[in-house]
Amino acid sequence: MKSQTHNKSKLIELGDNFFDLSIWKNWLLCLVMAIFATLLAYIVISTPLTLTEQIIFGVFAFCAVFAIRNRPWGRLGILMMIVISVTVSLRYMYWRLTNSMDFTTPLDNFLGWGLALAEIYSLIVLLLGYIQTAMPLKRPVVLMPPDLENWPTVDVLIPTYNESLSVVNTAILAAKSMDWPADKLRIYLLDDGRREEFKEFCHKVGVNYLTRENNLHNKAGNLNAALRVTDGQYVAIFDCDHIPTRSFLQVSMGWFSKDPKLAMIQTPHYFFSPDPFEKNLNIYKIVPNEGVLFYGLVQDGNDLWNASFFCGSCAILERKALMEIGGIAVETVTEDAHTALKLSRKGYNLAYLAIPQAAGLATESLSGHIIQRRRWARGMAQIFRVDNPLLGRGLSIWQRLCYSNAMLHFFYGLPRLVFLTAPLAYLLLGAEVFSATAILVVVYALPHILISSITNSKIQGSFRHSFWNEVYETALAWYILFPVLLAMVNPKFGAFNATAKGGLVKEEYVDWRVSTPYIVLLFLNLTGFIVGITKVILNEGATSTLVINLVWVTFNIIIISASANTAREARQLRRSPRVYANLPATIFLPNGKTIVCETTDFSQSGLDLLVANPVNLTLGQKIFVSIFRGNKEVTLPCTVARSGKSIGVLLDVLTIQQQVDYTRITFSRADNWINTWGKDSKDAPLKSFKEVMTYGIFNLAPLLKYGIHDLILSMRVKAQRKSYTRR
Amino acid sequence: MKIISIISANGGVGKTTIAANLATVFKKNGHHVLAVDFDPKNSLRLHFGIDLLHTLGIASSKQILGKWSQAIIKGSDDVSILPFGNTSADERNNFIGEMSNNPMLLKEQLITLGLPNNAIVLVDTPAGPSPYLDQSLSAANLVILANHADGASYSMLQMINALVEQQCRTRVDFLGSFYVINQLDRSRQLAGDIADIMSMQLGAENVGPIHHDQSVQEAFAFGTDVIHYAPDSRASMDFIEVSLLVSQLIGIRLGVTAHRDSF
Repeated sequence: MKSQTHNKSKLIELGDNFFDLSIWKNWLLCLVMAIFATLLAYIVISTPLTLTEQIIFGVFAFCAVFAIRNRPWGRLGILMMIVISVTVSLRYMYWRLTNSMDFTTPLDNFLGWGLALAEIYSLIVLLLGYIQTAMPLKRPVVLMPPDLENWPTVDVLIPTYNESLSVVNTAILAAKSMDWPADKLRIYLLDDGRREEFKEFCHKVGVNYLTRENNLHNKAGNLNAALRVTDGQYVAIFDCDHIPTRSFLQVSMGWFSKDPKLAMIQTPHYFFSPDPFEKNLNIYKIVPNEGVLFYGLVQDGNDLWNASFFCGSCAILERKALMEIGGIAVETVTEDAHTALKLSRKGYNLAYLAIPQAAGLATESLSGHIIQRRRWARGMAQIFRVDNPLLGRGLSIWQRLCYSNAMLHFFYGLPRLVFLTAPLAYLLLGAEVFSATAILVVVYALPHILISSITNSKIQGSFRHSFWNEVYETALAWYILFPVLLAMVNPKFGAFNATAKGGLVKEEYVDWRVSTPYIVLLFLNLTGFIVGITKVILNEGATSTLVINLVWVTFNIIIISASANTAREARQLRRSPRVYANLPATIFLPNGKTIVCETTDFSQSGLDLLVANPVNLTLGQKIFVSIFRGNKEVTLPCTVARSGKSIGVLLDVLTIQQQVDYTRITFSRADNWINTWGKDSKDAPLKSFKEVMTYGIFNLAPLLKYGIHDLILSMRVKAQRKSYTRR
Repeated sequence: MKIISIISANGGVGKTTIAANLATVFKKNGHHVLAVDFDPKNSLRLHFGIDLLHTLGIASSKQILGKWSQAIIKGSDDVSILPFGNTSADERNNFIGEMSNNPMLLKEQLITLGLPNNAIVLVDTPAGPSPYLDQSLSAANLVILANHADGASYSMLQMINALVEQQCRTRVDFLGSFYVINQLDRSRQLAGDIADIMSMQLGAENVGPIHHDQSVQEAFAFGTDVIHYAPDSRASMDFIEVSLLVSQLIGIRLGVTAHRDSF
């Protein structure tokens, strides 16, 4: 047993250190191997095989991938899976373009090529994705030198525009609590809303308050205006709802002293409130969200190629480098990514540190989420147009590929819609989008789809669950399609929209305006399904082709219904989201008695406390609650809102000092987010498929109920209006 | 045997309560504990449910008491107690005379009890400078200074520290001082501020708060200790935490896990 684990760890070690082997230092040997490998790949990709032979090839490749997947190969295992996946997928594409594109009618030609182009796009994104995520860098923390004398000055910039003070105040207090020499840390609130209330708060707390005369270039302009009147050697930027932990600067600044060419270090955006998918589908802490994949894997993968990019918040930039490129980029609406690209072009290094050192609020509703993603999509398309990473000077080939993928990723709108409607071409219109027999399509396409899915599942591990990507993309596809197309036509088109956060949803409702595209797609696919079934029963057309298209349509229905359910806005009653944490606490009652307890969660407005034995407290009773951390104790005046085994209390109006103390002992704790980040369960494709089914198709009934209810309501309203106008 | 002297500059800060509750926690964790009442008030025994009419103690006249060991009595939780004794003026004067003849009276008498090596002796001492305090300090391996988080305690800290310094610091068997802030109520800002200042000046590891808690008084009224009476109360938890810190200082391991720092 012991030797087995020993062998296992040795294998992982070899797999992880594969690229440290000395053979890679011999460039001639590498070149010879590369040429040999390319030739070999070409043969495997292009050799025509009979049906039986292709089946054997597919089964063999599948078994090989499956065998590697469950062995402890470390990073080498993932690389081997990628090699097989790339080969099989390219073989499919080669066959697809040479053997299945022989269309007869113009409609077949149009739809067939449409599908093929969508597939080519997906293949390119798949390949670029492999490059991006094959070997995450996993950069360690570099400690700051011990003598505080040489620590640089840091300006913390917090831009705000229309967010409420109740959202922003915690970020300000937390920023002020960061561990850094006090004479070298300056906090600036940049208020584009020019609000008196904010000015007063900053004054009371003792941070700088800056405004400017106009709101030109929105957030980027706001930051640039602040850069002109500040002079710290480094600039830390936080969105006004991102709360840094006290360790943020000490953990993140170290790399600047180690790498003199470093211009930017980015840390993950951790969200302590559920995003609309998590909230409305009720999958918070069950299925990892989009951000987890991006910050857990993609950014870390980018970092290997020196192509991790600035995400607008929770990052530190070196002022000198930033000023060299003219400050924050203002040409596009995703100023952050573009700023990173410009720094890269100047030869600066960019770093990503995968340790969550700040947390913020996720977008509240699906419509808000859509607005945010539209902006990202449009901005990325704008960069692709005005400063294409494939062109121009100063970038390595890998940086070009990574940046391109970051932008190309947002072009998924049209291809996704093509995949969601492709089977309808045959089922509803009778068009042949493949000029090949159904069985051939299956034996070529199936290995490509299955192997790339398994490989991605292995790479993504606990950072994303299979098929959820399809759900996320489907929900946004229609909405980002036009912004991206328009930006490609004219990058100047469109306006900047700040993302709204911190809202309440009193009653569950369905946002029908937002969900129209999904309802239409769902309706089309359901129609296709019924038509297909009818044709099978009536024995019309080729059964095998029908079956393929029916399977495809079924898959689409499952995905779309999950996306459609996202539009059913769940109730959100607490104004401020909770952070789940067990902190030692004590209740002090007015009668002098005390109860030792533990928090189960805290928020900006209150706490939930767990006591060992249920107690009966009077609702509305004024009590004091202490929260402990080591030798620190913070005592807060509270009001009882719920009694029993779990006691809910609301914080009374706190003094500034109490607010500072409360923020320090709760939100700014250095270990707050590390413990829960990226700790979702590992992906298992079949289980994940069941998840999508559960949250999608099995949840259609309530959506339907709301649909009928709202339809009747709107008809009634219309009828009433009519009767009024008649009068 | 480790001797822990519980002292204070001002009266009424809860030395006896601290001594009694610490003795209970130590005993509960299987230690050999002796609680010595070195205060003519003779009130320590009341915390252990011993009858008010029990008069025998260490200051009782020689005709009644031959050896100190004869005065040891078992209280609740099976804690051994050595009461001071309900004494007459003569008896007290005699005792003071004995103390002035022998500055090491307390220590010598405790040694003659022949307690095991790992025994913990808690000595409850009267407030302020007195022959009792001198004896108690001369014997102490560890001093626990009881305070309130108020101006009165804070302003006397320097004086009492100087006394400890004088009597103990030079001895090799002296392990240090520990400060208990008793009846802390952080909902009052001044109390919180003074507690923070004390903790900063004295070193956070040397300071342990016992929060203001009605359960402590109620437990006493019911003739029991707070750990029994209200196990979920802050004061119980605080006594356990203080006992843990103290046991670390005297180098004796305790079986309890403190609530604090477990996260």
